[in-house]
Amino acid sequence: MSLTRDDKDMLAAEHAMGLITGEEADQAEQLLASDEEYIELYARWRERLSEIDGTATRQPPGEALWNRIASALPVAAKPQSARTPAASRSQTLRLKDLWDSLGFWRPAGLVAALAALVLATGLGLSVREIGRQPVLVAVLMTENNQPGAIVNVMADGRAELVPLSDIPVPDGRTLQIWTLWDRVRGPVSVGLAQSARRLDLELKALPRTTATQLFEITLEPVGGSPTGRPTGPVLMKGNATTAL
Amino acid sequence: MEQQDKDNSQDGLLAGSLARCAQGEQQALRLIYDSEAPTMVGIAMRVLRRRDMAEECVHDAFLQIFQKAGSFDVSRGSPRAWMYTIVRNRALNIVRGEARTDLVDDFEPMGLTDDSENPEDAMLRMSDTRALKRCLETLAPVRRKILLLAYTDGLTHGEIAGKIGMPLGTVKSWIRRSLLSLRECLA
Repeated sequence: MSLTRDDKDMLAAEHAMGLITGEEADQAEQLLASDEEYIELYARWRERLSEIDGTATRQPPGEALWNRIASALPVAAKPQSARTPAASRSQTLRLKDLWDSLGFWRPAGLVAALAALVLATGLGLSVREIGRQPVLVAVLMTENNQPGAIVNVMADGRAELVPLSDIPVPDGRTLQIWTLWDRVRGPVSVGLAQSARRLDLELKALPRTTATQLFEITLEPVGGSPTGRPTGPVLMKGNATTAL
Repeated sequence: MEQQDKDNSQDGLLAGSLARCAQGEQQALRLIYDSEAPTMVGIAMRVLRRRDMAEECVHDAFLQIFQKAGSFDVSRGSPRAWMYTIVRNRALNIVRGEARTDLVDDFEPMGLTDDSENPEDAMLRMSDTRALKRCLETLAPVRRKILLLAYTDGLTHGEIAGKIGMPLGTVKSWIRRSLLSLRECLA
């Protein structure tokens, strides 16, 4: 297939519009499954056009709809750490799979940093809205420069970790969250987690968190680092900044 | 800027809720439902026209959102674009899988409401500060109308041609040119 970038961009535009059918649609879906350039172009058009979705007249559904959704949700929901490979792929599942696939959303490096900034601002504001007051926010970036988690430090000294994506944890290992507030003392453990989940951090025993204080997550043996210092690879890290 | 701040704040809240959904927290899905379900029913209604089908579509979409929340990555797009794409694709699949012409031709005798919106309403509701609105305004009114109609109602090239009584090739090239000018304007 020798489409130019321009050809792909037009196809992505019509695809994101929902205009194409038949062979053209098949071709577009194939590209969406395999072509990084196309994936990026499609995502960009979806982002642009979704603004039109936002203009739809809000039509509050009845409580019955929520009840039906809630009763169809998995009863004992588990973290998605073990994502099972799709056993049978029917036609109708294909789009879902595309949307699910990691390759689908190829990030641009700069976008990640920008998104982190937006998110730090956004989360700061939104958490305040529900009556809590984060005074500091740290966005932990992975080594690929992706925002992986957020640490919110509240006015009263409480702090929480909010993961933004799943973190694979091998058997026999655990995630350990650290903060470095004093270089002389070194990193101090503030929490352990078996999987990427929302977690309250044990910061109260430490001096007040300050701006630029480092937070990081490492992979450690179950039960936490035996030495009291990080021993495993750093999965993500970030410095606190003052929330707006 | 105010609108921008509000959106960023909402995006942060939604991204946080999606992260909690990925951990299996149903309450987080409820938060998303309370904030987004009304718009999502609206999106589905534009395409499907029937309230019962629109709610069914939103039902399916929320199950998908819960199931796939772990794959949402904030660095790759906004939470709303991610969720609206899920509901819109679901609506398009429903309508294209179930012979839309039958639906549209029959909906009045079946006692269903035709509250299809004027495409220009979508324009009016877009914030003036948005680049998309500014760029849509640069298109000739008839082309803008066709583009918006195609998007809001989820029509294919062929359906638009039938609806406005123009040759398929003309419709295709009109829309293509409109999309090209949009891209140029948004760049």
